[in-house]
Amino acid sequence: MKTLNKISLNSALEIFASYAPLYVPAGNETFSGFVRYSTGLEVRLDKNTKLGPKSLLFPRVENLYSYSNHGKDTEISPVPKEIEPTIIFGVRSCDLQAIVCLDDVFLSQTSRGGINDYNYRIRRGNAIIVALGCLEADGDCFCQSMGVDPSEHEQADLQLFDLGESFGVESHTAKGLNLSRLLENSGLLAEKKVAKPRPASFALTVDAQGITHKLQKMFDHSLWDELGAKCLNCGVCTYVCPACHCFDISVCAKDGCNGSTIRHWDSCMFSQYTEMAGGHNPRPGKKEKVRQRFLHKLRYFPERYGKFLCTGCGRCVALCPVNLDITEVIRRVKEAEIDG
Amino acid sequence: MNQPLIIEMRTIAQKLLAARTVGTIIGWEKGSRWYLTPPAFIHNEDQVDRLYFDRFAVNNLAKYLLDYRDSDEKVAVFVKGCDSRGIIRLIQDNQVKKENIIVIGLPCAGMYDRAKVEDPENPHDLPLLNKCLECRYPNPVYADRLVGEVSVSSESGRPTGTYSGFATAQSVGSRADRRFEAVDTLNNLPSGQKALLWQTYAERCLRCYACRNICPACNCAGCIFDSDRKQWTTKAALQSANSFFLVTRAMHVAERCVECGECERVCPAGIPVMSLNRLVSKEINRLCGAYDAGIELKSSFPLSHFNLAVKVGS
Repeated sequence: MKTLNKISLNSALEIFASYAPLYVPAGNETFSGFVRYSTGLEVRLDKNTKLGPKSLLFPRVENLYSYSNHGKDTEISPVPKEIEPTIIFGVRSCDLQAIVCLDDVFLSQTSRGGINDYNYRIRRGNAIIVALGCLEADGDCFCQSMGVDPSEHEQADLQLFDLGESFGVESHTAKGLNLSRLLENSGLLAEKKVAKPRPASFALTVDAQGITHKLQKMFDHSLWDELGAKCLNCGVCTYVCPACHCFDISVCAKDGCNGSTIRHWDSCMFSQYTEMAGGHNPRPGKKEKVRQRFLHKLRYFPERYGKFLCTGCGRCVALCPVNLDITEVIRRVKEAEIDG
Repeated sequence: MNQPLIIEMRTIAQKLLAARTVGTIIGWEKGSRWYLTPPAFIHNEDQVDRLYFDRFAVNNLAKYLLDYRDSDEKVAVFVKGCDSRGIIRLIQDNQVKKENIIVIGLPCAGMYDRAKVEDPENPHDLPLLNKCLECRYPNPVYADRLVGEVSVSSESGRPTGTYSGFATAQSVGSRADRRFEAVDTLNNLPSGQKALLWQTYAERCLRCYACRNICPACNCAGCIFDSDRKQWTTKAALQSANSFFLVTRAMHVAERCVECGECERVCPAGIPVMSLNRLVSKEINRLCGAYDAGIELKSSFPLSHFNLAVKVGS
C-alpha cells in the first residue's frame, strides 16, 4: 500500500489546496466542523467533527433563482453554480454513508420517474472525497451496528488508513487516483507492505435486524407517546444528522418586485414543517413528530432505498438535550409487544 | 447521590399517583449513559422506581408544564432551586395554573458538567457547571412539598437540606458574586474583536431552537421565528438572520430569565447563550435596581410594569 508519513500531512494538504478548494475537519471541544483550509489551519483528526460535511453538498441556505417583476412580466435568472471541484478531506465512513443516502434522495429520482436535483448533482459531481478510516469508536458511535464499516468506505475517492506513524493511501476512483498522483509526484508517498488496520470492536452496539419490518406494525404503538413526552421538538438531532435532508423553499424578497427563491434546511421536529395553508397540521404534537423522525430513518427510507437513514455517527445521541437516544429507541422497538 | 432521597422521591410520587392527586409525575430517570439523567414521565405507581436524582439531573423540568397548558390534568414536578424559579415565572406569565401543579422541592448540591467527561466509559472527578458555581438560589424558592429536609428559601447562598454541607463543600454558589465576570470579559473586548466573535457565533447558529425550546421563559404560544410568512425574518440560517434571532431571544427573555443555564447547555454550536442573558440582566440591575426573576410570586417587574416613580438612568 502507498503510505503518507503523518509529518508530511501539511505538505499534502497544501498540494490539495492548490489543486482545488479544500475542506478539512477543524475546531475544538466546543465546536468543530469542516472548514476551508488555509495555511496554518490546525486540522483535527483525533475524532469526528461535531458537524459533518453535509452542508458542503447540501448547504444550509442556497439561492435557487432570483426574480424580478416588471408590470406583468417576470424575469427569472438562474443563480450561477460554481463548477470547480472541491476536496473534502477526512470524511469518516458514517458521514460518507450519509452522503450515499443523500445521493439516493437527490440523484436516483430519474430512474424513479422523477427529476434529479440539479444543485446537489453539480456539487456532488465536483466533490472529491478523501475518507479517513476509524480505528476506535468515540463514546456515542455505533456505525458497525448500522452496517457501516468504520475502517473504509467503497464510495471514497481516496481512502486513508491510520497506520500510526503514517496514513495508508488507496484510491478508488479516477478522481482519487488524480489526487494520489499529485502526492506521488511531490515525493510524499512511499510504498510499504502493510496490512489494512482493522478497527477495535465498538462498545456501543445495537441490533437493528428486522426493525423495518417490525415498525410496519407499530404506527399506533404507545411507545411514541412515551418517547414524545420528553422530546422538546428542537431541531438539534435533525440538523447535526449527516443524513437528514429535509428542506423548505422560501422567498427572500428584496422589495415588492425583486428577490430570490432560496432553499434552506428544515426539520420534521418543527410545527411549521407540516403546517398546511389553511392552518391544519397533520403532525400536530410531539408524538407525531418523534414518530416521523424514527420511522423515516428506520422504516420509510429502508423501504424505499434499501438502507437505513441512520449511519450510527452518534451525533444526535451526544447532543440531544433530553437523551432521546436512537439506539435506545431501536432497542425499545425490538422489545415492544404488538397487539394482534 | 444519596439513596434515601431517591426513596423519598419515589414514595411521594407513589402516594400522589395512588391517591390520584395527579395523573403524571415529571422527574428524572437514569439515561443511556452514566453521565445522563434525563427527564422521565411517570403515570403509574408501578413505574415510580424509574425515578432517579443525581448530579446529572440537570434538565429544568419546568418547561414541560407548558405541555399541560391547555389541559386540566394535574401534574407533579420535581424541582431544584433554579427549576423552581422557572415555575414561578410560568405562573407569573399565566402559563400554568398554580392549582393544577404540585411542585416538589429538592435539595441540590450542584450539577456536574458532562461536557467535561473525558472517558465515556469511566466516571472520574467532574467539575460543576458554571451556573451551579454562580448559583445564588440553591434551595427551591417555591414548592408545595419538600423532600430531603430542604427548606423553601430565597435566601442567597445558603443551601439547606440533607447535604447542605456537601453542597457548600462542592463550591455551589462560590462564584455568585462574580457571575457577571464572563459577560464583562466578552463586553470589554475591543469592539472590532467583539463584533467578529459574535459574527462567528451567528454563523455557527443552526437555528435548531434548542435554546428556545428548553427555556421556561420562552413560553409564547407562537414564536415569530416559527413563521416567515410575515417576513419579519427568514427561516434560513443566514448570519444576519441568526444574529437577529440571538439578540431577539435574549431581549425577549429579559426580566424573565431564571438563570437555569439550559439554553447554553443544549446549544450544539457552543454559543455562550447565557452571556447574552447575563448582559441583559446586568443592565436591568444597573438601570432599575437589584432584580432577580422568578424569586417571589408577587413581585413587580422592572420592565413590564410601568412605574412612574422609577426613572431609568443613563
